[in-house]
Amino acid sequence: MARLIRTEKEVEGRYEEVWTVVEEDALDQWPAGPLEVVGQPAQRQDGLQRARGEARYTADVRLPGMLHAAVLRSGVARADARAIDVLPALELPGVQAALSCEEVDFLDAEAGYPGAAVAAVAADTIEQARAGVEAIAVEWDESEPLLDPDEAIARGQLVSESSSYERGDLEAALAGADVVVEAEYRTQSVLHNSMETHQAVCHWEGDTLVVHISTQYIWGVRDELAEKLGLRPDDVRVVCEFMGGGFGAKNGAGDYSLIAAELSRRTGRPVRCALTRREENLAAGNRNATIQRLRAGARSDGTIVGLGGEFVNAVGWSGWLAGTDGPMQMLYGVDNVATMLRGAKLNSAPMAAFRAPGFVEGTFGLECLLDELGGKLGIDPLELRRRNHADADVLDGRPYSSKSLLECYRRAEPHWDRRHEVRARSDETWKHGVGLASQVWYGGGGPPSYAWVRVGSDGSMTVVTAMQDIGTGSRTAMAQIAAEELGVSLAQVRVELGDSARGPFASISAGSSTIPSMGPAVRSAAGDARRQILELAAQRWQKEQRTLSLKGGRIVCSDGGSWPLESLLGLLEDAQILGMGARGPNPTGMRVLTFGVQVAEVAVDVGTGEIRVGRIAAIHDVGRIINPLGARSQVEGGIIQALGHTLSEHRLLDPRTGTVLTQTLDAYKLPTIADVPEIVCEFVDEPDSHLTNLGAKGLGEPPIIPTAAAIANAIRDATGADVRSLPIDREEMLRALAALARAKERSGDRVAARPA
Amino acid sequence: MRCGFWRNVPWSGVWHEDRGVKIRLTVNGEPREADVWAGESLLTTLRDTLELPGSKNACEQGECGSCSVLLDGALVCACLVLAAQADGHEVTTVEGLADREELHRVQRAFVEAGAVQCGFCTPGLVVATAALLEANPDPSDDEMREALSGNLCRCTGYAKIFDAVRLAARS
Amino acid sequence: MQLVRPSSVEEAVAALRGGAVALGGGTDLVPLLRDRIVEAETLVELHAAVPRGVRRCTPTSTSPSPSSARFWIGAGTPLAVLEAEPEIPTTLREACRLAASPQLRAMGTIGGNLLQATRCWYWRLKFPCWLHGGETCDAKEGQHREHAIFGNERCASAHPSDPAAALLALGARIRTDRRDLPLAELYRLPTDDDRSMTTLEPGELILELELPAAESSIYVKAMDRQRWAFALVGVAAARVGGETRIALAGVAPVPWLVSSPEELEQATPLPGTAYKLEIARALVQRALAQL
Repeated sequence: MARLIRTEKEVEGRYEEVWTVVEEDALDQWPAGPLEVVGQPAQRQDGLQRARGEARYTADVRLPGMLHAAVLRSGVARADARAIDVLPALELPGVQAALSCEEVDFLDAEAGYPGAAVAAVAADTIEQARAGVEAIAVEWDESEPLLDPDEAIARGQLVSESSSYERGDLEAALAGADVVVEAEYRTQSVLHNSMETHQAVCHWEGDTLVVHISTQYIWGVRDELAEKLGLRPDDVRVVCEFMGGGFGAKNGAGDYSLIAAELSRRTGRPVRCALTRREENLAAGNRNATIQRLRAGARSDGTIVGLGGEFVNAVGWSGWLAGTDGPMQMLYGVDNVATMLRGAKLNSAPMAAFRAPGFVEGTFGLECLLDELGGKLGIDPLELRRRNHADADVLDGRPYSSKSLLECYRRAEPHWDRRHEVRARSDETWKHGVGLASQVWYGGGGPPSYAWVRVGSDGSMTVVTAMQDIGTGSRTAMAQIAAEELGVSLAQVRVELGDSARGPFASISAGSSTIPSMGPAVRSAAGDARRQILELAAQRWQKEQRTLSLKGGRIVCSDGGSWPLESLLGLLEDAQILGMGARGPNPTGMRVLTFGVQVAEVAVDVGTGEIRVGRIAAIHDVGRIINPLGARSQVEGGIIQALGHTLSEHRLLDPRTGTVLTQTLDAYKLPTIADVPEIVCEFVDEPDSHLTNLGAKGLGEPPIIPTAAAIANAIRDATGADVRSLPIDREEMLRALAALARAKERSGDRVAARPA
Repeated sequence: MRCGFWRNVPWSGVWHEDRGVKIRLTVNGEPREADVWAGESLLTTLRDTLELPGSKNACEQGECGSCSVLLDGALVCACLVLAAQADGHEVTTVEGLADREELHRVQRAFVEAGAVQCGFCTPGLVVATAALLEANPDPSDDEMREALSGNLCRCTGYAKIFDAVRLAARS
Repeated sequence: MQLVRPSSVEEAVAALRGGAVALGGGTDLVPLLRDRIVEAETLVELHAAVPRGVRRCTPTSTSPSPSSARFWIGAGTPLAVLEAEPEIPTTLREACRLAASPQLRAMGTIGGNLLQATRCWYWRLKFPCWLHGGETCDAKEGQHREHAIFGNERCASAHPSDPAAALLALGARIRTDRRDLPLAELYRLPTDDDRSMTTLEPGELILELELPAAESSIYVKAMDRQRWAFALVGVAAARVGGETRIALAGVAPVPWLVSSPEELEQATPLPGTAYKLEIARALVQRALAQL
């Protein structure tokens, strides 16, 4: 039965208290460990379609009469578009319609960053549309851009109210500490670069707007487009069956879908608006750069008594304050913590959520600081983290719904113990070292989310829900959950997803929430279908329903009898069994978080600054694992994205004009297969007994969080040099080595530096 | 006040004209014809005219490998080949690696090993892997790193791609 | 625009008269055409016209050391062929192997590779920079971490070709449809009056290369990632006829010869490229030690 409750809702680390309709979740959790289907490695159900090139992405949608839209974007960092004349565009061959910021409110004449959209043209071909855009006459009223985050803060140019947090008395704690360390860390802006760029194809069927879009949130796009276009939500149908990656940048509708919808309305033809790779890297979001001025104090026994951080997020023209301060507040059991987080409003592209926004950046600073502290204290980094473990939530003393970070540490030991052997490989040129870092993140998901399960007389079992699979394999995980509950093989279950007109509301695929939000709803729907099957079976074979269960594709009675499922389902003919399920509430009064630790092994060429990451061991605690094969792939993918963030990726801006210089994939260096280290991946795989009928948390984000700090700490272990700025490219590495050499010269210390 | 100029728009001038060229080429073993303009890329022709959207357009600059196809057996980026250059040549796309109902061993191995995530880079990687195994039936890890370094993947972390290549090499 | 597809050198040379643009592997030219950095009414596809292949050859009269073995390479030979060619000097083979990506090496020809345009982002984004005919080099004032440490007075762009450095270290010669010249003479630092980076005349076509066998040679390369990146610093070193030569990629607007390791100290790095000089010192020392 549905209930209306007041509950906390969390997305990407942001909490809000909301009224939510939830349905009770009557199912008990399955026992821990691998089951018949859940917990077993499963191949992707749609893998062959993808591997044969048959999967149809938004990029592949071709509709009869479809037009192509091109977008006029500002060429400078800060300018007002005045006197826009689109008429010259309309006179060109093939051009069917044009719109500008003077007539629609989703485009802004105040172009606050290079790449800001101010007008668009639809034409028969993309080339004609581009020619149309070039023909648009605009007067740009340019002004001096603001690009320096510190200067923006000094001038009071903030994107939103600053966020301050305090517990205990930091200054007193630092004054009384035996050891205090202080350092400034910087992280760069990086670009999502999903392989499929942001895009949408819109067309109208009567009063219904049909939107094919590469999105992480079908229902969010529906609501956003309805609101901005003045439509009823159900007059917008959003379709996304196959999706080429998002990483947080595709949570919203984006201006491209509004442009396509409006141009389609005007022309009566389908309109595609697809960003090029360059547009993607100009205007489709980024992980913002940060500056972190951090302090830590500890007693000589390793108890951290205080942590303090002044954080600046270089947010860009708009955006929100990602929680760079979160790890400092949440990761350790420290009594005295004070943080201040400010968001600089700059003439650069707006940030967008990017896989654990804020926590990736904040964990780099905090976990490097911890090793610097450990070095001064002479305490082993793993031991230092153990001594400061938080046994209950440090924000408000709530119990954790589950936490196995100490178990992660225990499992990290054999990897950590390799450090002596690894260091011993060092020679004159290559210095080897090992580093580690911990991680905390959200990932509990939440209501509402719904699923249906349809069982037909042919024995087919179909999960129906209007969720999206952004490439992580959620489709397969949902099928596994339904198959487990229905006691059938994975091959018997299919999942219909990706269309708001063909299924119930489903969660956003962001904030590591797909599995923990959707999984319980699917299990609940399958459970409902199972109950109905058993009801019918009880009547068919005149048994008490409580003596019946589903197993191995059979109806099994506790008295020893069993019948193939088909012998019952075959009686249905055109009748169907329809199971309905909903995501139950999160446990009240508890903190639901994910934890983990990674150990990195690196080698540094001290002559050329080359860094090679040889091995990363990742141990994560995310509750129950549904599909170990997919889960490992998520961890590997997170680590490789982190590797790029740590070593080679950097959105470079021209310091005078603010132009993004790294728009293409030769200049913006994503890791290739040649950069991949050995990755060892372990899960605690213990269901969270308080969380839903599954006990599963999300895994999309945790693995990207600790990697940068683990690598930087390994570099310090190898060389003694402090690398405090990402990316640690050759310039940064050589700078750090030179700084170390100068420091040694000054202190007259000729002994090879290495933290104790 | 001055006029903004076209220095950081996603295209720098429109390169297109309507004058058509007819090309004849063999695609996936079948003779095909297409009307193209002289600067049109083979990728555009494959995807939009010949209705073979398996090869993906992800950078249009030859930097990501998502549009990898075989041109007379050589692994190339279809976005950098002019369609008119392919006139008279043989092209194999991801759709043509396997016979109609059959599955290519590389495709099967990618699925079995879990080397497919969002799958947008997968067609290019599958074609590149097929080309690698054709030239080198038992590649070492270093040879895989070398041979597949032109195919960017943003999801998998590549680790399972090594598994897939090994699996395909054995099968 | 039209594409012509000559089947002989003569036809190609004829087709190139009057401002037509030669299309080799297309890996650099096609994006430049798309961006209209290069404009062409006629593209001349060289595939069937320009020779390809590698063979040992007898020294020509112009060879500096006529006694030693030499190699002939057709300018249309893809890099992928050269990286798999066991006979040619190691520095060239390695420079090809470490260049670009497998797809680009399968397409890109050695002749085209020598004529690659810079990867300077300002130039590629069509900033009105000095190299595009403007007043100043945007990179010098702006972001230049990938830029030059030599020859950067006017333009700080870096030459991206790895094989060019290798061929320069080997003392290779090239033959065009109208002359035979040392590779070193193909390149020139641009001047205010003439901002081109090569001495090729309009319509001039590189047909073949000739290079000596080396007693020993090596190519080492520093990149931002393990593969598929342009050189931050590439160092080619070769010992030919008892003489050792060093050439660098990625450090100057053109491939750069240094007569000795000491000459590195004459570099003029920008604030953001000083680290490249450090890398160059280390790599030159290592290359010479391994020679």
